[in-house]
Amino acid sequence: MASFYVNGKEYTCDGRKKLLRFLRDDLHLTSVKDGCSEGACGACTVIIDGETVKACVPALDKLDGRHIITVEGLTEWESAVYTYAYGAAGAVQCGFCIPGMIMCTKALLDRNPDPTEEEIRYALKNNYCRCTGYVKIIAAVKLAAQIMRDGVIPDDDGADWKMGARVRRIDVDEKVNGTGKYPDDYYLEGMLYGSAVRSKYPRARVLSIDISAAKALPGVAAVVTAEDIPGENKIGHIKHDQYTLIPVGGLTHYLGDAIVLVAAEDRETLEKAKKLVKIEYEVLPAVHSIEEAKAPGAPKVFDEEENNIQAYKHVSRGDAEGAIGRAKHVITRHFETPWTEHAFLEPECAVSYIDDDGDVFIISTDQSAHTTLHECSLMLGTKKVKVQNALVGGGFGGKEDMSVQHHAALLAYCTRRPVKVKLTRAESLLVHPKRHHFVMDFTMGCDENGRILGVKAKVESDTGAFASLGGPVLERACTHAAGPYAYENFEIEGTAYYTNNPPAGAFRGFGVTQSCFATETLLNMMAEVIGISAWEIRYRNAIRPGGVLPNGQIVDESTGLVETLEAIKPDYDAALASGKPVGIACAMKNAGVGVGLPDWGRAKLLVDEEGKVHIHAGASCIGQGLGTVLVQITVTNTDISRNDIIYERNNTWIAPDSGDTSGSRQTLVTGEALRRACEKLMEAKAGRTLKDLAGREFYGEYLAKTDKLGADVPNPVSHVAYGYATQMCILDPETAKIEKFVAAHEVGKAVNPLSLEGQIEGGVVMSMGYALTEQYPIDDNCKPIEKFGRLGLFRAHEVPEVKAIVVEKAGLNVAGGAIGIGEITSIPTAPAIADAYYRLTGERVYELPIKGNPYERKR
Amino acid sequence: MAGSEFPYRAAYVACNPKCGVNPGDPCRYGCVGCGQCVEVCDSGAARIIDGIAVIDRDKCTACGRCIEVCPRAVIRINEITDPIVVVCSNREPAAAAKQQCTTSCIGCGLCAKSCCSGAAKVEEGLAVIDRNLCLSCGLCAVQCPRGAIADLRGILT
Repeated sequence: MASFYVNGKEYTCDGRKKLLRFLRDDLHLTSVKDGCSEGACGACTVIIDGETVKACVPALDKLDGRHIITVEGLTEWESAVYTYAYGAAGAVQCGFCIPGMIMCTKALLDRNPDPTEEEIRYALKNNYCRCTGYVKIIAAVKLAAQIMRDGVIPDDDGADWKMGARVRRIDVDEKVNGTGKYPDDYYLEGMLYGSAVRSKYPRARVLSIDISAAKALPGVAAVVTAEDIPGENKIGHIKHDQYTLIPVGGLTHYLGDAIVLVAAEDRETLEKAKKLVKIEYEVLPAVHSIEEAKAPGAPKVFDEEENNIQAYKHVSRGDAEGAIGRAKHVITRHFETPWTEHAFLEPECAVSYIDDDGDVFIISTDQSAHTTLHECSLMLGTKKVKVQNALVGGGFGGKEDMSVQHHAALLAYCTRRPVKVKLTRAESLLVHPKRHHFVMDFTMGCDENGRILGVKAKVESDTGAFASLGGPVLERACTHAAGPYAYENFEIEGTAYYTNNPPAGAFRGFGVTQSCFATETLLNMMAEVIGISAWEIRYRNAIRPGGVLPNGQIVDESTGLVETLEAIKPDYDAALASGKPVGIACAMKNAGVGVGLPDWGRAKLLVDEEGKVHIHAGASCIGQGLGTVLVQITVTNTDISRNDIIYERNNTWIAPDSGDTSGSRQTLVTGEALRRACEKLMEAKAGRTLKDLAGREFYGEYLAKTDKLGADVPNPVSHVAYGYATQMCILDPETAKIEKFVAAHEVGKAVNPLSLEGQIEGGVVMSMGYALTEQYPIDDNCKPIEKFGRLGLFRAHEVPEVKAIVVEKAGLNVAGGAIGIGEITSIPTAPAIADAYYRLTGERVYELPIKGNPYERKR
Repeated sequence: MAGSEFPYRAAYVACNPKCGVNPGDPCRYGCVGCGQCVEVCDSGAARIIDGIAVIDRDKCTACGRCIEVCPRAVIRINEITDPIVVVCSNREPAAAAKQQCTTSCIGCGLCAKSCCSGAAKVEEGLAVIDRNLCLSCGLCAVQCPRGAIADLRGILT
């Protein structure tokens, strides 16, 4: 028996229950986030007797006499200081790590009121953040310390909230204080816990399923197999090849394939019941790699397919072969990039129940509530489905597919009771689609002045166990492999292969993170051959307004690659002059889906009885700050004050479908739709007050119209807008660590410079991991890494100085000229770092992550 | 504060103060309580308690003199922000280690199994923690059946 205090209140408990489960399940102190339950992520950090402790570690019976503090136990003053500091510093993105970071902040400042930056970094080093790159969290701690010492919170919220204002995000308070809800924070009356029994083998035939023992276990509410699915078993983002449950007689495609679903009254019974399910398999040889997938006579991953080719793309313009044949300098190289895990801090979770209308209601964390609606409706065979986005604890592309939503919906449908389905961290690492492993062969030909004459390439990707977005990722890797340069001859052939590995799909950069590494490395090599700087070869080849990209598109006045090159020039020249190893790379990335697909933005403004204007757009904020952007766009395009505007989190029955949060598209596409809605509201409002408009609805929509790939027009418009960037890495020659990283991004019109910097810093640090430390090994049984803490993500004390430069340029005539930058921030980072290491060691890098660097996780 | 330059460092004794040396079959690796560390310690951090050296990390300046004189080489220095440490130096096989001491590491590997980051492992029969990988969660300390891994802050162990 142990007696301890939580936020000053005494509790007496017994047993081996973990503190995390007690705080969340019994006390409902949901600021204490469950990100891994294995000691790694830090989202459940609390303070015990002045020290930070991850609540998933200690058992209750070891806590006798202890005083435990959670974010809910902060004093009003502390809460106000941290809310101000984290907001003003721009430290809050998805928010899932933030309560844990607040605990680290408090524990540090309670004993050290004036910490140095290094002391702050060390205080945060056992807690992961995947959004911010830690830069602004460190700044927030510094600011909080200052305010604590001064004893006064600055009263400086005078921002006008127009586009361009450096405003504090609208969701800071709920994320700092832990009152905002992610799906796992919902505890509904009579709620069951659900989970999947997954395949024991990556490729096997399911011969029989025996659920009788599991069903008979007291406390089990339902045991569900493929036979119980009322609609289509096979769902999928584009191609319907993702099985909800593998049926008897069916083939399993990877270790994450679900075969049986169980719902039980509590977690313990659930785990017991899952073990009682008996499945007989005929184990079959698995396909482990691209090589095996394309070998003659290879086992087929899908019964339904003729072979293992999931997608094939061929993009050609001009005469690449001829141009390379005429080129003075030709370089050919082979490149490889690894699998990468998104490692968002919030594991997948959905809560589903039957609502008062008899509809299946799903509370989800995803990148589009409407996609969840479409897929779950298809599977349930009914349109009587509603989806409400909760807070989303990071996505980065990894929450575009169904992972738990369809399973929660099916269990709620079968049991007619509320059901929560949450992936363990090991399941999350296995189940959601990853960044594709690519192998690439590139040839580049240049003239004597370093002008690119032609590029020819062949790329292959491992798209794993189902299509997900493997086709579009391959396509974007191919179209953007040309780089942001003006030349006419480009040809690339790409193939994505099914294997029995975990699926691969969307991941920040969408294939361009891979092909950019090849193109930019070749360009750096070419500069050396020709005898000009890596900066100069880019300046000579850079696409400029009115120029023609290798895909034939004439680019508009907002095209600002040259400006990003010029923005980093002073730092570049200074680093060169001091003799430090410096590497550089450029990138372009579309904003909007493009290539002729119907890319709709939709938004509506509802005016309530009190004259408040509610923004409803069917677009998910996955942490990037969409709600704040939409409020700023509304303030800019109306005469309404920020205080009269309420951003509503995305749902499917009021908000119109505005497409997935994907392809850096929401600021531009949903932003323009909202601007149009604002126009209509202002027309109606002429000479009237908002209260006069009570009950009215103003709808705006925008089709980002583009031409199909290979369209038979002289200059096809592949994308409505492109963002451009130059990034630069400077190494400390003594330590071989990164001394400084400079990232200049051209964004059209900057909506919120504070958020933009956060996107840049976070994207850069994420790709520092991709370039230097991260790993996602898959073993001979097609089983991937199981622990979050072994992924090799960058930690707070390792992050170098990151200088984010936001470059504005007018010329885009939609959404006030704003171009999304969610993805491009992660694209040129790896080739820039690789080039810097080449300048240090003399060895060119053709494969990521870079070997032998000082950040490497040696074991 | 321990040490003068950040990250601050301090010494600890890789032998459990609760170990209780078995006079019949003494451990060849652990602290013998000779007190040489106490003699060289200028800051008053080193003391002998119940026959075992103990270092007060708040007083320790990480000068390293105790390490130089320790005949059993059981004193280590680490960063004070890394509180989870192995407090045993016994490299005997499990049976012998068990016989020699009630809190010795027996190389069972539960620490490695529970470790979230791949930092904890068993080398030559003794648990070790890779400081570069450790996330200081303390699961290894909580899981250790022998009490051979400690939370120097005194929270988890």
